[in-house]
Amino acid sequence: MKECGKKNFLNILMNKLILFLLFIICSLQVSVEEGQVNFDKDAYPFTSETKESLFYSLLNELRCPKCQSSNLAGSNSPISNDLKREVYELVVEGKSSRQIKDHLVDRYGNFIIYNPPIEPATYALWFGPFILILLSALVIILVRKRII
Amino acid sequence: MKKIIDALPLVVFASLIIVLFSFLSDKDDQLETALIDSSFPDFNLGSLSDESRLLTKQDIIKLPALINVWATWCIACRVEHPFLMKLKEESILTIYGLNYKDNKLKALDLLERDGNPFEFSIYDFEGRLAIDLGVYGAPETFFIDKNGLIRERHVGVIDERVWEEKFSKYLNE
Amino acid sequence: MIPEFGHLILIVHLVLSLLGGTLPLLVVYANYRSLEISIKKLSVTLFILITISFLSLIYSFLVDDFSVAYVAQNSNINLPVYYKFAATWGAHEGSLVLWILAMNAWLIGFIFFTHSKDKDFLATVFSISCQVIFAFSLFTLFTSNPFERILPIPPLNGADLNPSLQDFAFTVHPPLLYFGYSGLLIPFAIAVSAMLFKKDTREWASYSRPWTLLSCSFLTLGIALGSWWAYYELGWGGWWFWDPVENAAFVPWLLSVALFHSLITSQNRGVFGKWSILLSIFAFATSLLGTFLVRSGILTSVHAFALDPERGLFILAILAFFVIGSLLIYSITDFGHVEENKYELTSKEFGFLLNNLLLVVLAISILFGTIFPLIYEAFTGGKQISVGAPYFEIILFPFALALGLLQGVALYLSWGKSSSFSFLPRLFIESLSIFSLIILILFVLFDNLYLSSFATIFLASWILVGTLQITKKRNLSYWNFLRKRLAVTFAHAGMAILTIGVGVVSSYSLEKEIILSPGDSTEFSDQTINFQSIDDLLGPNYTSKSAVVSFEDGSELSNIVTEKRTYLPSGQITTEAGIQADLFKDLYVSIGDNLQSNIWSFKIQIKPFIRWIWLGALLIAIGSFLAGVKQFKRR
Repeated sequence: MKECGKKNFLNILMNKLILFLLFIICSLQVSVEEGQVNFDKDAYPFTSETKESLFYSLLNELRCPKCQSSNLAGSNSPISNDLKREVYELVVEGKSSRQIKDHLVDRYGNFIIYNPPIEPATYALWFGPFILILLSALVIILVRKRII
Repeated sequence: MKKIIDALPLVVFASLIIVLFSFLSDKDDQLETALIDSSFPDFNLGSLSDESRLLTKQDIIKLPALINVWATWCIACRVEHPFLMKLKEESILTIYGLNYKDNKLKALDLLERDGNPFEFSIYDFEGRLAIDLGVYGAPETFFIDKNGLIRERHVGVIDERVWEEKFSKYLNE
Repeated sequence: MIPEFGHLILIVHLVLSLLGGTLPLLVVYANYRSLEISIKKLSVTLFILITISFLSLIYSFLVDDFSVAYVAQNSNINLPVYYKFAATWGAHEGSLVLWILAMNAWLIGFIFFTHSKDKDFLATVFSISCQVIFAFSLFTLFTSNPFERILPIPPLNGADLNPSLQDFAFTVHPPLLYFGYSGLLIPFAIAVSAMLFKKDTREWASYSRPWTLLSCSFLTLGIALGSWWAYYELGWGGWWFWDPVENAAFVPWLLSVALFHSLITSQNRGVFGKWSILLSIFAFATSLLGTFLVRSGILTSVHAFALDPERGLFILAILAFFVIGSLLIYSITDFGHVEENKYELTSKEFGFLLNNLLLVVLAISILFGTIFPLIYEAFTGGKQISVGAPYFEIILFPFALALGLLQGVALYLSWGKSSSFSFLPRLFIESLSIFSLIILILFVLFDNLYLSSFATIFLASWILVGTLQITKKRNLSYWNFLRKRLAVTFAHAGMAILTIGVGVVSSYSLEKEIILSPGDSTEFSDQTINFQSIDDLLGPNYTSKSAVVSFEDGSELSNIVTEKRTYLPSGQITTEAGIQADLFKDLYVSIGDNLQSNIWSFKIQIKPFIRWIWLGALLIAIGSFLAGVKQFKRR
């Protein structure tokens, strides 16, 4: 009996939660709408939140060519500041993430992006881990008792 | 078969050690330039010596040439200055300067005092042309061949040895 | 005189460790019983010697003996006393001595706490450990002698300790990490001896398990402290950067976790014997490999070790000798009588096997990604590439997902074969409720939902519910049940909490760079940011611009101080981020550039749930520590 009551309570709770979730997911659509942005004190003012978040996420993905072990977000060196400005101007112009990365790669090489391109020379890097796990899983399921 | 599987970890690890050993030899920590064999980027910047004179790519006419990125805050630039003067005095090739994020007065002072190896210096206070060239520090030196293509870049002090190893071959093409 | 004394003691230690590395083997293998020595006495002697040597190095720092090159490079008259003390292990040479000290400490622990009737086996483990200690001492004395003098004219003052290391967390982080790395020596030595003696899997696994758990505990703490340090000291709010130095610690951690899970199986069921041996070897190997990568200079890294290819060559030689040697033994050992316990695909054994597979392939992938730029450069003739956070996050995600799903069901599985999977629907429903609850809390706190965080948060709920096993039928009362399984509950719940932290902080973080002069204010999220004032401060060995920035969200006002320090001896500038820490969100501000007379740029950030990452790591460390200690009690 006790077990049953618990189950009942759980069901009710679940229903309430699902309702609430639906409700907030609906309201979410509204809150994502671009609101009034107050940017007079911003170092990098944007007219839209999408552009702003693109800008800051790019700073985290781009490598500072001078300090080398830091991204642009984490560096205050003069070259980083110049590159931030460059990225800022490109974002404001409405360039996409891909275009901006290409723009910088054309000048600084692939070194400048922390995410290596997918090309024949990097196939091992990108697909190696997954091939390795599939292969070893296969081997282990087939012959697990003999080798381990 | 079993023996081969047992020896596998050994083989893999031994090859890793060999690979790592080969990486140990002294490493050149220069960044490659992405601009090899591409034409010199467009720019529109003032001249260091004459504010009113606007320079563009069309002003770089005496080819082949070196483009040297320099600044007064850069200590290593002073080290290579005599070598650049020598290149100029022996009329080996033209050198254009790219004065990078510098104080104009100090820069002109330095050229006055130590001599001016440059045909002219582009004044790039904001580092705009520098970004288009993929510059990440000073000094840097680019070789532009007679067709206006970038053929080589050197990061750091340029001297007799670097000139012989990296640049002189393009001059004799 | 004291440095010479320390140097001399280090040489005596070298000689004795060579004796320890050879004599017992002669006794065991050539049967020269007359040469038999007390390994207990020798291990204590070695420990005392290295401690004296280390103390004399500390002494040289405390009395500002700048005629010692290492002190001159890493200390300064004006350095606060506490940092002079901590500077002892602030750079390569001193950290090696500490490392050797740690290895000796583990060895003593092993000798005194392992109760085995097989004296020859213990002597062999001792001897192999002494060989590694000897190799490290040789390395220290020949390439990295911390006692080297600058004579005849010593400098009047030292160059100073790297300012970013002048910080509490960073004085504690290296010792913990070195203790973690060096602890892996014991499972390695046990594994090699086990092969030489053809030890029963269950027996040697029981010797190895506590030390693996304890090393893992230290590694966890060391890595977590390093992450915390990077978060507040590097000034941009990142807590994990996938830098080579971090990967070099993460890979041995993954392998040590894989190893103790494998050892549980080996000890209880007698299976995975060969696998556990390989893992012991590779966990030790990667702890050395990480050191090689970071200190040989072949990779660019944030950590400022003095780089030297000769040192790299030496570490590589140590690595090659011990690891190739032990793998050679592995390849020729005949593991004749392997216990054959049958286990089904639904068994606990198979669960551990999958866990190991995922952890090991993940470790290999991270290692490969770390050295891939070098491989790429070699194969493409000098083209360069960066492999960083975005790549590693993409790779990590599917592995973490699989590991987490497995972790959730792991504790329900039984040895041999799990009879029923009827727990799954309830596990799923309860995870979903916890998940919804967390989402609800996040919505209440931050007025926003990010789909990108859903997978991670569900995973965390799944792990949590699976760990607490509320649904499982049992005879014990629930609390007794949890108390019996305190260690695993701590560790697995820690993983769940860490996962929530990672999921929330990577989706809900906000950041912005702003420009303010004193008195200005601006809006950021639901906060009003006000730049109150900026003042000049004078620290013991630095000058500082100290800015007060207030955050106000209607109900609460917090004044946060962020500093830009200029350390006097080196002129180096560091940013001290100001953080208002809270369980649910950190307010983070770091001062940037002085743009004009009184106008400054700031980076402001809101980092929700970031504390949960380190809280989770702390629980994992406590859990594996308890599990390790429990192994001693059991005997």
